[in-house]
Amino acid sequence: MIIENSLPVLLSRLDFAWITTMHILWTPLTIGMSWLLFLLEVAWLRTGDERWYKLNRFFEKIFIINFGAGVATGVTMEMAFGILYGPFSQAVGPFFGNILGFETITAFMYEAGFIGLMVFGWGKVSKGMHAFATFNVGLSSSLSAMWILVANSWMQTPNGVVLKNGLFQVTNWWSAILNENFRWGFPHMWVATVELALFVFASVSAWFILKNRNADLFTKLLKPTLLALLIVTPLQIYIGDSVGKDVADTQPTSLAAMEGHYHTYLPDGKPNTSWNLIAIPNANNDGNVFQIAIPHVLSLLETHTWNGVVKGLDQFPPEDRPNVWVPFYAFRTMVAIGFFLFFVALWGNWLRLRGKLNAQDLQKHPWFLRAVVFSAFLPYLAIWTGWWVREIGRQPWVVYGLMRTYQGVSNMSVTQEIVWFAGYIVFELVVWAGAWYYFTRVIAKGVDSIAPSDTLFHHPEEEDSTVAGGGFTQPTFASKPMLEKSR
Amino acid sequence: MLEIARIASSLSTWWWLLLGLFFLLYIALDGADLGAGIFALFSRDEEERGAIMASMAGFWDGNETWLVVAGGVLFGAFPLVYGSAFNYLMIPLMLALWAIIMRAVAFEFHIHARGSKKLWGWFFALGSLIAPFFAGVALGATLQGFPMKAGLAAQIASTGYHTPVLHFAGGALDFLTPFSLWTGVGAVIAASLAGGLYLCARFVPGDVIHERARRWTSLFSYLALLAIVVTLIWSYAIFPWAAAKWTGPYWWIWAAWFVVVLFFAFKSMSNHSAGHDFIALLWGEGVVALLWAAMWASMYPYIVPGTWTIDEAANPANSLAVFTLFMTGFVPVMIMYNWYQIWVFRGRFTKKSVYGSH
Ligand code: HDD
Ligand code: HEM
Ligand code: HEM
Repeated sequence: MIIENSLPVLLSRLDFAWITTMHILWTPLTIGMSWLLFLLEVAWLRTGDERWYKLNRFFEKIFIINFGAGVATGVTMEMAFGILYGPFSQAVGPFFGNILGFETITAFMYEAGFIGLMVFGWGKVSKGMHAFATFNVGLSSSLSAMWILVANSWMQTPNGVVLKNGLFQVTNWWSAILNENFRWGFPHMWVATVELALFVFASVSAWFILKNRNADLFTKLLKPTLLALLIVTPLQIYIGDSVGKDVADTQPTSLAAMEGHYHTYLPDGKPNTSWNLIAIPNANNDGNVFQIAIPHVLSLLETHTWNGVVKGLDQFPPEDRPNVWVPFYAFRTMVAIGFFLFFVALWGNWLRLRGKLNAQDLQKHPWFLRAVVFSAFLPYLAIWTGWWVREIGRQPWVVYGLMRTYQGVSNMSVTQEIVWFAGYIVFELVVWAGAWYYFTRVIAKGVDSIAPSDTLFHHPEEEDSTVAGGGFTQPTFASKPMLEKSR
Repeated sequence: MLEIARIASSLSTWWWLLLGLFFLLYIALDGADLGAGIFALFSRDEEERGAIMASMAGFWDGNETWLVVAGGVLFGAFPLVYGSAFNYLMIPLMLALWAIIMRAVAFEFHIHARGSKKLWGWFFALGSLIAPFFAGVALGATLQGFPMKAGLAAQIASTGYHTPVLHFAGGALDFLTPFSLWTGVGAVIAASLAGGLYLCARFVPGDVIHERARRWTSLFSYLALLAIVVTLIWSYAIFPWAAAKWTGPYWWIWAAWFVVVLFFAFKSMSNHSAGHDFIALLWGEGVVALLWAAMWASMYPYIVPGTWTIDEAANPANSLAVFTLFMTGFVPVMIMYNWYQIWVFRGRFTKKSVYGSH
């Protein structure tokens, strides 16, 4: 039996997979939306248009809930490497540990230092300072995505290190940091966050227009959002394709699994060039029971030639082959979503060309609005499936080609691993259910209760607290009540 | 060659000191938040819990992130400790993390909740109790050290895999001893005291929360003094490395240190009685800092007593050098903007004025 499938290893993989999957559910929205909130704030400050302010304060509520869920699930991540993958952490410490250290110092703490100002600082710091805080939240969370992708893509393409005395010693920092997989992997992830956040904006807007609540306000937001999506969605497809070519060069086993490509050559000795639309791998993981294949497409995609050779899984010993089911279907899901989202962006801008992008006309196209509402869920799924392709395609290696996953697993009993798993299923589902419930609450409440921006610097409760305080107060503080009236 | 070894050793000592600083910042800052949460466990109404939560809304995340920073620095500078100690501490860390999750979501959801306010209020308060308890257990367990072996760590039948790196090799419950349970209790007492001092400083004198926090603080001051003495005696009895230092040729430094601790504690208590709440909080945090520094010094040259020395556990010299080059400059900056954020949210509350918010 292949050791990666033995129970202790499988369980610790599952344990880790579950917590990362539940973490990546939140963080992309934080990253993407912080920039969009910054743009809304700038629009408000430059034009003085109160509507931008309202939209900002409204989406900020969603942002905060989402941020809290990101932190709640993230603190675990920080410790989880040491807990679940102790030997891995020790071996990769000289590079990977450093990078995670960089991330905590230059990204997490940086973000934490400004998030309070951004969320609770309204009316306590000047408008300029507030916009500055929002900007810093955007920058720091993008930095966090950058560092974590440096770390993770190095696991895919471990450049610039030698394995000496059981440790990965760094010989070339630049090639380790700017490793091959990172060059496209990071742009892909970052653009994914922007795409996700834009779709959340679009989707919520479409929902309000559909319900005919504040329809004009939300149309004002929908317009620039759809325009931005027209650029972002094809860009993401392009970047994704480049990531794929990188994977073909650097991780042939992963590519073969993604494509369900077992046989490098056909029985007659010619290269097998077909791309599988659907494949059902057999139990031995050495061929497909069933497939629908289109000749030449795979060679075209990966080598840009009609008959190029693409290495299949048969070029690798069985114990070095990843599972095919997950990468194959996850990859197809992601790609389908990428194209569908592009289609939605085209549709919206087609309506714009025909002059239909106003509340009245949009309401006559409920199917478009429904499609947009639905589209907010798809980038989430694409991000999940993208990571599953990446992580499962790398198996059985934890550091590709150098360290196998079982060598990195901590000393734990199966009971311990099950307790961890069960506990995190409960806690993360509570986070998920709670966040989802409060998102719907915020949306149901809408924008009408948001106080106008000119009340920001007025603190009625100050008088109140002096009375209650009996002298010794400096009531500069309590501005949160002010905020809360708007909730 | 010798030069390099010397540089590496001073770099690792430097990061060991910074690590101590980050843990201290975490304990000092988040300790107060957590303690206020323990206080909220005894609040009779949801309004009071809401007010306590609102009082830290602007910076609890920053405070908690010092833990993440400490973890990141541990991984970045001492991965060998990170990978083995966390494996050893799996169960207490897991429970503390669950508590932190409960608390973090409670912060976000409590404001929006209507029917379920009570639930999130309890999540907040319980999380605030459980997290410091298990963090304290983990600390006590670390002081005791743990067994290690080379080769494969995972519990799988033979594989023929060899590596010279030492992995954790004990059992899941090795961490559980009377001493580690006691340090858990000690951490809860310390946090409760810090929380009481914090609440006195954050709420307006005469306010209900302030009144109750005053009594709470007086009680926990005595409990904390008792806890300090018990911990010292116990450690003296079971840790030869500590006993050797404390009674060695420099015993008078340790004794003088102890007197200074008592002086700080006295100042904190007297300021508290005089109603100088903020000053009392600062003296109280001083006690924490002094004790933490003393613990760090007692462990030197070990980072995990009897298990990892600072030099053995550190990253290779070139990684440490890169880490130092890129990260040291950020440390003061990081402290500065955090301080600014706390500064913006200073000032006092009344229960009503914050609760108006909910
Ligand atoms: C591409 C995005 C991304 C990815 C792949 C990850 N994270 Fe993350 N993480 C973020 C993007 C992010 C973020 C958006 O920057 C968060 C959300 C809230 C926050 O504070 O930062 C965050 C939060 C966050 C926190 C909480 C920080 C705090 O207390 O404020 C920790 C400890 C981690 N993450 C750790 C990890 C680890 C160890 C990962 C490796 C598997 C990881 N994250 C993957
Ligand atoms: C960038 C940060 C990440 C790092 C450093 C990372 C690292 C790891 C490590 C160390 C493992 C365990 C060893 C292994 O099975 O290879 C793993 C497994 C896994 N991770 Fe990640 N991961 C990251 C992000 C993610 C995200 C965001 C997801 C999901 C959305 C994810 C999904 C998985 C899955 C599904 C596995 C299990 C693979 C398997 O068991 O076949 N990972 N990852
Ligand atoms: C047609 C479009 C797309 C293509 C061709 C594509 C391709 C890829 C490829 C090849 C990978 C790398 C797998 C590996 O490293 O083994 C990947 C990963 C990923 N994809 Fe996509 N993708 C597309 C669309 C999307 C969309 C729309 C999103 C999200 C909105 C997304 C999010 C991700 C994420 C988060 C990862 C993992 C991180 C990374 O490798 O950078 N992808 N994608």
